[in-house]
Amino acid sequence: MGTAIAGLGLYKKSPRTSFGVFASVLKVRLIIISRYKGSLLMELFMPIVFAALPILLGISLASQGTPVADNWKMTAGTADFKAFMLIGSCTFMVVSLMTWLVGFWVRREMVTGTLESVWVTPAKKYLVIGGVTGYALIRALIAFIVSFLLGSLIFGVNPFQGNIMIAVVFILIGLMPLWGISFLFGAIILKVKEANSLINLLQWVLAFFMGVYFPVTVLPPFLRYVALSFPPTWMTNGVRASLLDVGFFFEHWYFDLAIIFVFAAIVPLLGYMVFMGTERRLKKNQGMGLY
Amino acid sequence: MVQKTAQDCNSHSSNDIHISIIPNLLESVGHMPRAIIKVQNMSKTFISKERKKFLRPEKRRIHALKDINMEIYDGEIFGLLGPNGAGKTTLIKCLTTLLIPTGGTAWVNGFNLQKEENLVRASLGCMLMGERGLYWKLTGRENLEYFGALYHVPKEKRKERVAYLSDLLNMREFLDRTVETYSSGQKMITAFAKSLVNDAPILFLDEPTVTMDVHAARELRRIVKELNREGHTIVYTTHQMFEADELCQRVAIIDRGEIIALGTPAQLKKSLRVQDVINFEGVVPKGVTEKIKAIPGVRDAVIKDVKAGKSTLGIMCDNSRKMLPKIMEVLLKNDVQIEYVQPQDITLEDVFIAKTGRALSVDTSEASKTDEGGPGGKV
Repeated sequence: MGTAIAGLGLYKKSPRTSFGVFASVLKVRLIIISRYKGSLLMELFMPIVFAALPILLGISLASQGTPVADNWKMTAGTADFKAFMLIGSCTFMVVSLMTWLVGFWVRREMVTGTLESVWVTPAKKYLVIGGVTGYALIRALIAFIVSFLLGSLIFGVNPFQGNIMIAVVFILIGLMPLWGISFLFGAIILKVKEANSLINLLQWVLAFFMGVYFPVTVLPPFLRYVALSFPPTWMTNGVRASLLDVGFFFEHWYFDLAIIFVFAAIVPLLGYMVFMGTERRLKKNQGMGLY
Repeated sequence: MVQKTAQDCNSHSSNDIHISIIPNLLESVGHMPRAIIKVQNMSKTFISKERKKFLRPEKRRIHALKDINMEIYDGEIFGLLGPNGAGKTTLIKCLTTLLIPTGGTAWVNGFNLQKEENLVRASLGCMLMGERGLYWKLTGRENLEYFGALYHVPKEKRKERVAYLSDLLNMREFLDRTVETYSSGQKMITAFAKSLVNDAPILFLDEPTVTMDVHAARELRRIVKELNREGHTIVYTTHQMFEADELCQRVAIIDRGEIIALGTPAQLKKSLRVQDVINFEGVVPKGVTEKIKAIPGVRDAVIKDVKAGKSTLGIMCDNSRKMLPKIMEVLLKNDVQIEYVQPQDITLEDVFIAKTGRALSVDTSEASKTDEGGPGGKV
């Protein structure tokens, strides 16, 4: 059974217009954030503040003449605890921005009422969310680079030590599983329609398991395995090991990278499936517009 | 589709009171209208939580749509009328793929609602959320270009289209300001422009004039007519009867999730077996309507509107000239303080009143919950 067909107006699906969806979402996010200049500036200082607390604690402990720094070196694999903390907190900010952004985006669009306007268009959702994540990626990388350089200057850390190229590869590949985690988190926000309390809780769980301030090897065995099943842990350690020579989880960097590749192949797919499944379940009841 | 007569349509109880009207003009030239939207046995049930208890909310089924069958013809302006909570928005959300129906299906522009979701979406231009569907931190132009991209409109066409819409809707003055600085009317115009950005064959306009001033609303209706003349099919929801009367070639009246009448405005009005409607404005004590209804020759009496303690009592009768003295006698005997008497032509609201015994201003969202809605109840 069919009905009359009256054409599709100006709709013209092609690889170019599909890329246009992705590019437009990314561009619009950048335009909107550029209209909140204060928040961009604050973001650059956030990891420096995060790193400052343990660094200052470390400085005060080490200055007592006790072998604190030696202990730290034995545990973490480097005596440069300032660089260790700074890398940890800068990576944490990248992870945090990437992980929460889809959820925040969903929540904000729900509240402003634009989510249904976007959902009623024929744009594929992975292109829309891809654009949102692309924006998060740009924002996270800029924030990482600027805050790492700024933090290095403030705390007297050499930012150009170790193998920078491998560290960059760890960050770039490590971001892909985060994309999947952000879908999962976005699905939870779609369902529970609340972001803040969830983030407040999970932010610290995230920081704990990815070892922002300590090597995860100090965790008890069970928690260590939990931490190792969490993709950002591999990314953080990969960056530290490349720059500070703290040692990879496996003997060579490419083994650690291979693990991240596996995460990168599985987690985004899983996250997208869960996200779309949640969307369908909502549409079977009262829809996406409620908040 | 089952064809029924206007006489059948006067029944109160039937679930499928549809008058399939083939517009006379089309009929006379032997051209059968083709359905561009066909809805078949569509139903929608929500599970809603009622938070009467602090920790354990009660879940209830709400039957928002009940076995809807209808066709919307290619090139017509089709009105969906009904009070708040009647199911208009739910029906539109199902037809625009924002909700998945619990039962039944539909074809939109030849595409199946469940199987070809993206092509259904590509066939539609939607103004569903009014000004809330816009990004307030973007300018009107940025909004239109963004949504154009989401509708896969090629970049060069997008710019042309935005320029065209800016001229058509007189948006030049504010197009490059951020939406947050717009007046309500300007926001609604921009939301309307957004629905036109992909030049889709079918437009869904959900109460588009709701926050507009009289002039802007009139201008929007003029453009809607023009778009219809260009060949767009328009599905227009409103609870303002004069809008439906002015714009729509056919209307469906929805109440408690069911279509209770469907036809041209003229045919629906003609289907009422009453001649006249008289409106009395003033202070109307409780229970008067029942006493008026008891007068032989009075078909119905209902409080249509209440504002600042003053009510509008609408009375439908066969012959107002003959009935007026008797009606006045009963009103005065029951202490009704009459301030104004106005005879009026039968409107679509009167059709609604005749079908349901209620005025359109009554919110019926609670009524379609559970007990009255057949199966359902607590879950």
